[in-house]
Amino acid sequence: MAKEAQKERSMILQKEMIAGLFDDLANAKELGKKVCYTFIPGNLSELIRTFDMLPVYPEINALQSAMRKKSASYIKEAERNAHSEDVCTYVKCDVGMMMKGNIGPTGQKIPEPDVLLLSYTGCFTFLKWFETLKREYPNAKVIMVHTPYQENAEMTPEMTEYMVKQFKEEVIPQFEEVTGIKYDEEKLKRHLVLAKQAEDWITKIFETTKHKPSPIDAYFAGVYYIGPINIGFRGTKEAVEYYKELYSEIQERIRLGLGPITPEGEMKEEKYRLVVEGPPNWTSFREFWKIFYDMGAVIVASSYTKVGGVYDMGWRHDASRPLESLAEYCMNCYTNLNIPQRIDLLTKCIEDYDADGYITNSIKSCNSFSAGQLGMMREIEDRLEIPVGFIESDLVDPRYFSYSNIKNRLESFFQMLEQRKSMQTISEK
Amino acid sequence: MNDTIYTMGVDVGGSYIKCVLVSYNKEINDHKVLDKQTEKIRKRNPKIVASEIVTDLLKRNNLDYDKDISYLASTGEGEMVERKTGHFYSMTSHSRGGKHFFPDAKTVVDMGGLYVRAIKIDEKGKVMDYKMTGQCASGSGQFIENISRYLGLAIEEVGQMSLKADNPEIPSGICAVLAETDVINLVSKGLSTPNIVKGINLSIAQRVVKLLGALKAESPIALVGGMGMNEGMVQAVEELAEGKKNRDFKFLSSKDAIYSGAIGAALWGGFRYYKLKEKGVTL
Repeated sequence: MAKEAQKERSMILQKEMIAGLFDDLANAKELGKKVCYTFIPGNLSELIRTFDMLPVYPEINALQSAMRKKSASYIKEAERNAHSEDVCTYVKCDVGMMMKGNIGPTGQKIPEPDVLLLSYTGCFTFLKWFETLKREYPNAKVIMVHTPYQENAEMTPEMTEYMVKQFKEEVIPQFEEVTGIKYDEEKLKRHLVLAKQAEDWITKIFETTKHKPSPIDAYFAGVYYIGPINIGFRGTKEAVEYYKELYSEIQERIRLGLGPITPEGEMKEEKYRLVVEGPPNWTSFREFWKIFYDMGAVIVASSYTKVGGVYDMGWRHDASRPLESLAEYCMNCYTNLNIPQRIDLLTKCIEDYDADGYITNSIKSCNSFSAGQLGMMREIEDRLEIPVGFIESDLVDPRYFSYSNIKNRLESFFQMLEQRKSMQTISEK
Repeated sequence: MNDTIYTMGVDVGGSYIKCVLVSYNKEINDHKVLDKQTEKIRKRNPKIVASEIVTDLLKRNNLDYDKDISYLASTGEGEMVERKTGHFYSMTSHSRGGKHFFPDAKTVVDMGGLYVRAIKIDEKGKVMDYKMTGQCASGSGQFIENISRYLGLAIEEVGQMSLKADNPEIPSGICAVLAETDVINLVSKGLSTPNIVKGINLSIAQRVVKLLGALKAESPIALVGGMGMNEGMVQAVEELAEGKKNRDFKFLSSKDAIYSGAIGAALWGGFRYYKLKEKGVTL
């Protein structure tokens, strides 16, 4: 009984946090709060909070719409309004939602933006997305920060300085102008201290998949776990509390030797341990997950759960260097890493988490993820000689999810895994 | 003591259902395909079609399912097949089927209605590694069917027609929709049907040869699945592979290539029947 109550507590906490945020957004005017639309990769949550603004993440709204089976009609609405079939479906889903009244995932209206803040330019679509929104919201202030790509696999002092300069000269003065609040660096530092704590906890949580059986699924459940840290709660006490609670629940699962929880209950047997590259499909999320847990496959690490921050290698927000660490955070997001860095990171995941195989879910909409994925997969296959699989789908457009195609491919992949495992068992005997 | 048993294999594919009746003898390792049947699914319920084929084969061979069939194995999309004893992954079945046709084969290429899959196998027909085409239909047998329908050809005519080509033109090999548009243009340009068909075969063969390279395939290579019966496709694969440096691939094909999955399933069924019998399990 106590175990069940514990399990539910982190979920309740998360639900309350998200509901609270959307309540505040629905009442932003009454509360006298300004609203800042921004994106997950390279998000400046702590700085936004320093100015008491409320964040809105259009990608989150899009994926929530997909999970509630509303994305198809939003996408059609955007396409009726001249957005091409080839445009990122997150964008079309968001634009369609806006055209249909901008009702968010909780059924409440999402307020218009006071600021459109782009703090990660690695995704060219983000740039065009906010240009589109600017036309719809002419009164919003658009702030675009240029984030240097880690071309040479490093963040140099010059790159950091370049970004800090943009914060000081562009972002902070415009935030002050919109909110009427003076920049308070001590307040920012307090948020950064809490951000680091949440980052420490989430790192520990994702490291629990080193246990056998893994107590959690780091992809299908992982996307829920990254919710609070990615949607504006990083830098808050609530986020730290949530992750502490989640960690203690997972520790209890480890103590009891339990595997991950799936929509159909506890996974009975862990047959395969996998690392997944690429975002999930949101329109058929449950069906997609089911193919894996029916086969006894657990995802022990994924690149997607690092989309809002790569903490595996020890990087953390640092209150002693507030703006510098914000700059590094933006430059260190997963899709801002160059391809060899991503290969090294995924290789490390496969080795550290003792994975049996590697799967790429190549997303039609997302160039930031999909570019280079085939090359990465081949390099990992050559380097580690493990079975690899490649499937294709989309983020929120149900037209690009072909269940049979994906199932066929995954079946071949799982068969290969089974074969390799049985050979391994024979050679071990 | 006669150790021969009867097994059946049902392979439910994207376009066709294939069924075989096999006599399986474990002692002398002699297995024979006694009868076979293929049905196009069209718009029918595959479960009913599969059941009808099984009944037809049994009737034709004066066999009774309950008394005579030791194992009915399904494969492909055949998990819904009625009366089945067990189901096998299609990759396993095609590998075993390829090995049945060509015991020396080291690689099997399953060229089916939905995709092409190159499989490296060991001496027993077990899967060692594989590579598959992407999900675009331009790498599939279904694509050839669509084009043949457009050109007014029966699917059986495509292979021979392709062999008559003298100056083929290859359409887009990236996208089935673009390729179909290309074909319409080629027809308007007056290109002969054999040259169009050969071009289509070559566009798919390009993908096959690429897969073989990525797999680091070993020769001889068995071409199985529906497209393995298309002589024009076999020729196209041979031609393109010949052009590759440092490759000396020998390709093997059979007029019964479409049955590789069903045969492989029936053979694995026989194998499993005896394994379970050894453990005292009665099916």
